[in-house]
Amino acid sequence: MELAKFLIMRSELSLLAVVLILLVVEIFSAKSKQGAVVNLATGLFLLHTILGFVPVATGQLFGGMYQHTLLTGLMKSVLNIGVLILIMQSSGWLKQPANKGRVSEFFLLILSTLMGMYFMLSAGDFLMLYLGLELATIPLAALVAYNLKEMKSMEAGAKFILLAALSSGIMLFGISLIYGSSGSVYYAEVVGTMEMNPMQIMAMVFFLSGLGFKISLVPFHFWTADVYEGAPTNVAAYLSVISKGASTFVLLTLLFTVFKTMFDAWEVLLYAMAVLTITLGNLFALRQQNMQRFLAFSSIAQAGFLLLGIISGTHYGMTTVIYFVLVYVFSNLGAFGVAAIVYNASGKINIEDYRGFYQTNPRLSLVMLLSLFSLAGIPPVAGFFGKFFLFAAAAEQGYYWLVIIALLNTIISLYYYLRVVKAMFLDRSEEPIGLIKSDVLTRVAIAVSVAGIVAAGVFSQVFDWIHLYGWGM
Amino acid sequence: MEESGYFDFSPIVNNIHESLAASFSPGWAMAIAWALIGITLILFAALSVIILVYVERKVAAFFQVRLGPMRVGPWGLLQTVADFIKLLMKEHITSRNADKFLFNLAPFIIVTAAFLGLGAIPFALGLHIFDINIGLFYITAVSSVGVLGILLGGWAGNNKYSLIGALRSGAQIVSYELSITLSLLAVVVLAGSLQLSEIIASQENGWWIFKGHISAWIAFVIFMIAGTAETNRGPFDLAEAESELTAGFHTEYSGIKFAMFFLAEYLSLFIIASVGATVFFGGWLPFHIGTWQAFNHIMDYIPPIVWFFGKVAGIIGIIMWFKWTFPRLRIDQLLILEWKYLLPINLFNLILVSFIALMGWYF
Amino acid sequence: MERILFYLIAAVIIVFSVLTVTSRRILRAAVYLLFVLMATAGFYFMLNYNFLGAVQLTVYSGGIVVLIVFAVLLTAHMDHKLDPPDRLKALAVGLLSLFGMGITLYALRSFPWAVTALPEGAYDIEAIGMRLLSYGDKGYVLPFEVISVLLLAAMVAAIIIAKKSTSND
Repeated sequence: MELAKFLIMRSELSLLAVVLILLVVEIFSAKSKQGAVVNLATGLFLLHTILGFVPVATGQLFGGMYQHTLLTGLMKSVLNIGVLILIMQSSGWLKQPANKGRVSEFFLLILSTLMGMYFMLSAGDFLMLYLGLELATIPLAALVAYNLKEMKSMEAGAKFILLAALSSGIMLFGISLIYGSSGSVYYAEVVGTMEMNPMQIMAMVFFLSGLGFKISLVPFHFWTADVYEGAPTNVAAYLSVISKGASTFVLLTLLFTVFKTMFDAWEVLLYAMAVLTITLGNLFALRQQNMQRFLAFSSIAQAGFLLLGIISGTHYGMTTVIYFVLVYVFSNLGAFGVAAIVYNASGKINIEDYRGFYQTNPRLSLVMLLSLFSLAGIPPVAGFFGKFFLFAAAAEQGYYWLVIIALLNTIISLYYYLRVVKAMFLDRSEEPIGLIKSDVLTRVAIAVSVAGIVAAGVFSQVFDWIHLYGWGM
Repeated sequence: MEESGYFDFSPIVNNIHESLAASFSPGWAMAIAWALIGITLILFAALSVIILVYVERKVAAFFQVRLGPMRVGPWGLLQTVADFIKLLMKEHITSRNADKFLFNLAPFIIVTAAFLGLGAIPFALGLHIFDINIGLFYITAVSSVGVLGILLGGWAGNNKYSLIGALRSGAQIVSYELSITLSLLAVVVLAGSLQLSEIIASQENGWWIFKGHISAWIAFVIFMIAGTAETNRGPFDLAEAESELTAGFHTEYSGIKFAMFFLAEYLSLFIIASVGATVFFGGWLPFHIGTWQAFNHIMDYIPPIVWFFGKVAGIIGIIMWFKWTFPRLRIDQLLILEWKYLLPINLFNLILVSFIALMGWYF
Repeated sequence: MERILFYLIAAVIIVFSVLTVTSRRILRAAVYLLFVLMATAGFYFMLNYNFLGAVQLTVYSGGIVVLIVFAVLLTAHMDHKLDPPDRLKALAVGLLSLFGMGITLYALRSFPWAVTALPEGAYDIEAIGMRLLSYGDKGYVLPFEVISVLLLAAMVAAIIIAKKSTSND
């Protein structure tokens, strides 16, 4: 086997190289060099992201355990862009004195979870998928508990790891049933044996619960609000954007390939979950005062919308899901980014605190406005098109009731997104948040997400480009 | 190995099997065979522990220039028997605030683990309770369960000394397990098998300690250090450091349960020594030197079982020698020794030995 | 004989599993868990898969349960007992578990499982080793390496959490 063949997995290899370089740097660098480590890590990751766009041959490795297609390459690039924005946004937070001597660990953990997601995407069998899932979950618990001085953060970490263990246990049971019934863990061999009998449906349901946890679909969403609230804001953003996006991609590809013969079973399941997820997410988001909890429930609702594209089962549906995730990456990172800047500078996290924000920080509040509009789906920003395409994909396959419920929920969601906007622009406050100056990297990150929100909405080529790589059931 | 001419126990074993199978149904025959093995093992264990305790006391005495037990029996030979009887008749004391279930369970866990390990040891050709294909791995696996007995026993007594002893012992055994396994792996790489009988067969033309030269020596030295630590013996007997912890994890135990901890400790000493003898010194194989036919022939006259026990006795002697020579380590020194020195050396040695095995640089 | 042994081990597993989750003393729960795991190793030995049995013993009994016991030893007190569960909650949980068990049993029994014969003799350990490090068809070197990354990340994660005291200055 020639070594050049391993270049197929260049994303994983270059990410591993970044991780190892950071590990060595951590050993030999002084504790006070926080800024340098952040810059180095960002630079390395930028390189890695650019490298991800260089086309390589597609194919399989390790007897089909690892597969690289144009689609997985695209998905990884979407995740890369998100992580790049995210780590630039975190730079302000990481440079704080409280994080002295713990900067490179942050990158080590976050990048190894990203590698886990890569393996989930590229997995050709359930073993790799499960390992990828664990790699994408366990280090996250430490990231959630990163603010060691806050009990809330520790509690969130404990909650996260316990529930993650539970859900991955159930998932593993599902995988073992699939293995027992089909005699193989390889996707290619499992596909042929999956049928509509009670046992394999049960196996699939168990299996999906693991992914449902990561995407925080409704019966598995209980951890979301508490963990997002306790976690450092940037980590919450990572959970809500990257982790969720990657798992959605995995759900999408698995349902379209391995479980495609069981469409009738998962159609019902997704239908119910979509309705529940959108509705419950919205209803709970209405009542939230804490910005991070608010965004948590909003992200639950958004995950529900994603299911609309998956349930359609078409090529068009797949494209819309990827497109929506891309848009969601930009908009949610924009919103979380502003929330993180505000929290790290002033310690304020409640929606009420944002009153009069426009007077003091006009630019940040405009970014927030744009992101929230995009999340709500107000034209002309990208979020509108994202939702529109999802609805169109579902309606095309005749899921009219589902689309109507989703539309009603979009209207409800307008109320709570606009509540924040109202607080920022219309309300007056006795003691508004002071003028915030953030560092260069953070500004660039915010600018990139704004540019993304606008660009993804204005240029239709993005959609066509994604459409090129996708396929239907 | 039929033509090797060593005394083979398998005909005797087979005879017993056949006569059992002839007179009972298969299920009963199996049950009786297991019962026989169990009784034999228990008798053997009791006997060997009694001897070992006596030897230990004598060795200690000689190191300290005194006589040791002399009163009961000739040269004090019956001293340990008397002690044993005394222990059996002592009152069982369970302190009121102890967790009684775990308190009573702990000695059984530790003794069971020791006995399970004994099952895989080849005493002589054909005298082997079960010769599974993962023999060496099996022994390390079951011996790793024994530490639970120590942990639970130390906790259940509800005594802070015993708790500290248990924690120390747990940390120690869990750490040194790595070294012991890795050092054994060095020989496994050379022999190409985990099955003990095959490891012995691979030493027909010379023991690994000679054939594997440098890496086998490194492995053996580490094995001896880690083995001493694994059995909680001096200089690594922090778990029962008398001067600080009264008696460590078994402070609260008395009578027969105390004796069981004692039994397990000496049994694991025996197991470690026999694993070392089997892996590094050819087990029951006699000592041969190259092509010296006459010498080899003379050596062949000594029965394998004597060779085996002789080698085991030698290794036990070294371990006892350790105990009465070196001062006790502190817990941090102990862990530093393992994690910062033995483990890296071991990993390096594993790479070295793989290289040697690949290049065929052993005899 | 095999059948008796099987049912015996299965009974041990079930009884101790139930005891594990119902015991109100945390260390006892850990010990019951140990018995469950050891009995599972018994199944592997029965299937002639000695290697997996020994792995089960080392990893679970010698590793995981020891770690659990260690953690309990360092944190819990002997007299500490979990509160007895709410009567209503216990009932609800019991019913739910029974319901779940019913569904699972129904689903499992409805499936025509393919029966394969037990291979003669023990599994070849050399073959296991070769497969573990092979990168061809049905080779497992990739998962093997990914696990090493996972362990590295988990170790860094553990250090981050445990480093609390030094970063408090």
